Amino acid sequence: MSSQNGTAGKGAPAQSELFFGHKACAGCGGSLAVRAALNELGPHAVCALPAGCMSAVGFNFPQLCFANNAIITPFAATAAVLSGIEAGLRAQGVKPDDCTVVGFAGDGGTADIGLQALSGAIDRNDDVLYICYDNEAYMNTGIQKSSLTPFGAKTTTTPAGAHAPGCLTSKKPLFEIVAAHGIPYAATASVGYLPDFVRKVRKAAGIRGTKYIHVMAPCPTGWGCDVDETVELARDVVDCGLWYLAEYEGPAVSGEPGGRFKVSRKPRQLGRVRDYLRRQKRFSALSDDDIAAVEAARDAKWQQIEAWG
Amino acid sequence: MRRFLSGDEAFAEGVRLARPHVVSAYPITPQTVVVERLSEMVEDGSLAAEYVHVESEHSALACALGAAATGARTFTATSSQGLLYMAEVLTYAAGGRFPIVMMNANRSTALPWNIYGDQRDSLALLDHGWIQAYAQDNQEALDLALMAYAIAEDSRVMTPFMASLDGFALTHTYEAVDVPEPPEADAFLPPYRTANRFDFENPVNMGYSAGPEYNRYFKYWAHRDMQAAAQVIGEVEDRFASVFGRRYPGLLEAYRTDDAEFVVVTLGSVAGLVRHEVDRLREAGVRAGMVRLRYLRPFPYEGLAQALAGAKAVAVLEKDVSFGAEGTVHTNVASALHRAGLAVPVRGFVGGLGGDDITAEQVRGIFARLQEGPEGPAVTFLGIDEAAPSPRGPSTHEESGVRQ
Amino acid sequence: MIEVLWHGRGGQGAFTAARLLGAAAMEAGLHALAFPSFGPERRGAPMRAFTKVGQAPIGDRSASSQADYVVYLDDTLFGPGWEAELKPGGRVLLNTTRAFDDPRILAFDADGLSAAVLGRPIPNTALLGALARIEPSVSLDDIGAAVRSSMASRLHEPNCTVAAQAYQTADSLLAAKGVAGDPIAAAAGAAGAQGMEGAAAADASRAESPAASPAVRPADVVRAEAHIPRLRSQFAHAPSLDPADYARSTCFAAGHLVTKNAGWRSQRPVVDEAACTACGQCVQYCPDGTIFLKSRRVGSAKPAAALAQPDFDFCKGCGICAKMCRFGAIAMVPEVESLATPAGPSVPAPESEVSA
Repeated sequence: MSSQNGTAGKGAPAQSELFFGHKACAGCGGSLAVRAALNELGPHAVCALPAGCMSAVGFNFPQLCFANNAIITPFAATAAVLSGIEAGLRAQGVKPDDCTVVGFAGDGGTADIGLQALSGAIDRNDDVLYICYDNEAYMNTGIQKSSLTPFGAKTTTTPAGAHAPGCLTSKKPLFEIVAAHGIPYAATASVGYLPDFVRKVRKAAGIRGTKYIHVMAPCPTGWGCDVDETVELARDVVDCGLWYLAEYEGPAVSGEPGGRFKVSRKPRQLGRVRDYLRRQKRFSALSDDDIAAVEAARDAKWQQIEAWG
Repeated sequence: MRRFLSGDEAFAEGVRLARPHVVSAYPITPQTVVVERLSEMVEDGSLAAEYVHVESEHSALACALGAAATGARTFTATSSQGLLYMAEVLTYAAGGRFPIVMMNANRSTALPWNIYGDQRDSLALLDHGWIQAYAQDNQEALDLALMAYAIAEDSRVMTPFMASLDGFALTHTYEAVDVPEPPEADAFLPPYRTANRFDFENPVNMGYSAGPEYNRYFKYWAHRDMQAAAQVIGEVEDRFASVFGRRYPGLLEAYRTDDAEFVVVTLGSVAGLVRHEVDRLREAGVRAGMVRLRYLRPFPYEGLAQALAGAKAVAVLEKDVSFGAEGTVHTNVASALHRAGLAVPVRGFVGGLGGDDITAEQVRGIFARLQEGPEGPAVTFLGIDEAAPSPRGPSTHEESGVRQ
Repeated sequence: MIEVLWHGRGGQGAFTAARLLGAAAMEAGLHALAFPSFGPERRGAPMRAFTKVGQAPIGDRSASSQADYVVYLDDTLFGPGWEAELKPGGRVLLNTTRAFDDPRILAFDADGLSAAVLGRPIPNTALLGALARIEPSVSLDDIGAAVRSSMASRLHEPNCTVAAQAYQTADSLLAAKGVAGDPIAAAAGAAGAQGMEGAAAADASRAESPAASPAVRPADVVRAEAHIPRLRSQFAHAPSLDPADYARSTCFAAGHLVTKNAGWRSQRPVVDEAACTACGQCVQYCPDGTIFLKSRRVGSAKPAAALAQPDFDFCKGCGICAKMCRFGAIAMVPEVESLATPAGPSVPAPESEVSA
């Protein structure tokens, strides 16, 4: 309680860190996303995190790794808790001007169990920012498939064997699903391109209503790569076109009835999917045919993306 | 002001007087009228609250939890499957010590699907860390809405509060209710002040995990503070009486138990019927009595032991059964008697399931069984096991000749 | 009952070793339990695993605070206080290239031995082989049977070879002391002897007890000071850790740290002052926020205002900073200091600022 909070020691400000001392794996892409976003949003950000890696590694009493106000939420309820925080602060007239109410949920917590609550918050257009750090599986429980696990990825519930190379479904198009709500602002990003991500966080913080940012955040433990490859893979996945950096401005922001999509980064030539996949053990069972299928799906997706302009 | 209100409406009036900052609501029969009335109050400006149209019960309580973490006074309401759907969030609210007030319209649980009243929903969640109160009538429902905040928000308690109203028997039944004036209510219920909230001067982390070496202390203090609520409930009721002139008797109401030999322990709206039968039996010279449990958490161990100290036989009448065991209230009452060293026999009577009416005749039958002596089944299903037929017709078991 | 406590890092195979030992005991007709310590820490973090072996069914499923054998898969985990985890007569089995005088410590290069056979340093089956030499109830054959029942078939022979070689290594180490027979007695008899292995003994300067090495040099701690979560000791007024204060809500001072992450690191970033341009790429991409721009020391050769410096209390050594540096100014070098932990029963002491 604040009466017992104590106060931090004095020191000349050098560099702001708000998420520090956590127990994430070395080279964790999710923690990089949270750290970068919070440092942009500043100390008046209030954040909510459901069950998942970032809450598990950041919030184990008495090791509390957020320097700002932060709370754990039930797994399915990130967006609902965000709505409650925002409503509570506003109803009491105590919300600072520079306060962003921000959620950080993983791919499972967002695209699976938390999707209903997220949709509800967007429907109400509550003034919150929802950031999904996508490491493409349930990493907190030890690498199980989510609806954002890509085709061919080996997880502990989509094992590779004689009958399957791994995950048989493709990533749910969550960015487009969110945009279809007519949300004021949505964006995709990658921890490989942090300046782009941080710019989108800044832009979102300046828009009233619901905002959604989907940031690709590699997990060396779950993807089967070295711990220093996180950022490189997060760039590769964009450069080879299996992930894309884009924005959606809803009718309220763009002034256009259906809103407006915009690609933030158009690679002059998409890199080789094979090179990206072969760097990761999770794709080790993919055949040449499988890789060709991944590449074909990528090309089809990019036809859609290029139509956005 | 005297008004003729349903239980749902009465509770909504009580909530308006409590001035919550945030109301999160999702409709479910027979709770729906509460959230409809509150939305009207917000619309007409008589309730200055943020009304959040959540998309599920899980989100209803999660939203209230988020708001409570900012230091806001919050309200939500639910029933039956909705309560079960939000069950996960009940433990977050209790463990986080957020004094959220929730009305539950007691309703049966599926399957078979059924919208009518019984108490299986809230009794299934007794262990989730919430104060649980059961109203007898619509006046008590309204008064509980106000007292709930005073009790839950007390710094010695800091525990969420679930007030249960029997579905339809209270929620949809109209009766005369005295609705207090706002200045009176304000005099009774001060604004919520807490340190258990976000703080922009000295930021906090909330709702974290705690490993084996720390976890037990959180549970220990939740238990102690729930026990402390018993004392606070008494103090709040004293203050309530001084402001509004209506006095409530604490965790339980002991009715004509001083010299009672045969006592029915029950809860909720059926107490009105039992009370009537006690009076009738007393006129006939039978030393009958009733205990109405107003609170199941904290549980009134001492009050029960006192009220039942002279009893020769005790019945527990409830709209619940824990399959394979007995009624959950029955278990709790038996535990209290055992703890007090009282060897009085206790028999359970399960009735009113899925909205089935409990009749005067059935209550009379229960007292008759108690007077017959200690022999008899531990659990009796009204309308099935006992001779008196249910008003809805004879049971199929009897028709088919099945003996239980 | 024999209790074995395994110290490793998440992902290193300590629990696999604990399980294999349990499976080997089962092959020997004994009762066994094997379990990991469960915690929020992730890959790279120090973790423990346990094996219990007995003649009768084992009812106690709680963590062992003292063990007959304490096995370290990584010598950076071996530090002050290790004796407290040993039962009287207990032994330490340590994967290291260093040598130790203490007769209770059986030290050998399990990484080197396993790498020579497997192509990668995976020390757990080597340590199991050595354990089979000093613990009479489990034989090398039992270890082999466990490997065959628990691992993919292509791993059977290489791992059995590793275990057998390690068994011989342990045998030689014991024989070098000139004492055979009961291993514990043999070790006790060897007290005061020089290094266990000639080659290692030559490096006498590094044979000092790890207890004597400093946990963290103050100069290592370079840290931002604005809004950063900080160690409890750095709070001007630390919040109460009395349960009557903290346990009546889940609301506590933000950014309150009681443990460091230094013990996770097997390599550390070293910044070349001459090459660093203070561009800040490493600062931006560090997942842990543990590298900062600091003013250069007076008299620095370059006029630039700042220099990237890691906070070695919290750096996990992932190496992303080195990858991100466009000027080749950051090199990852093996961690040489014994920064981590001793082995307190529940929380490593130098890492932790509170005890339960």
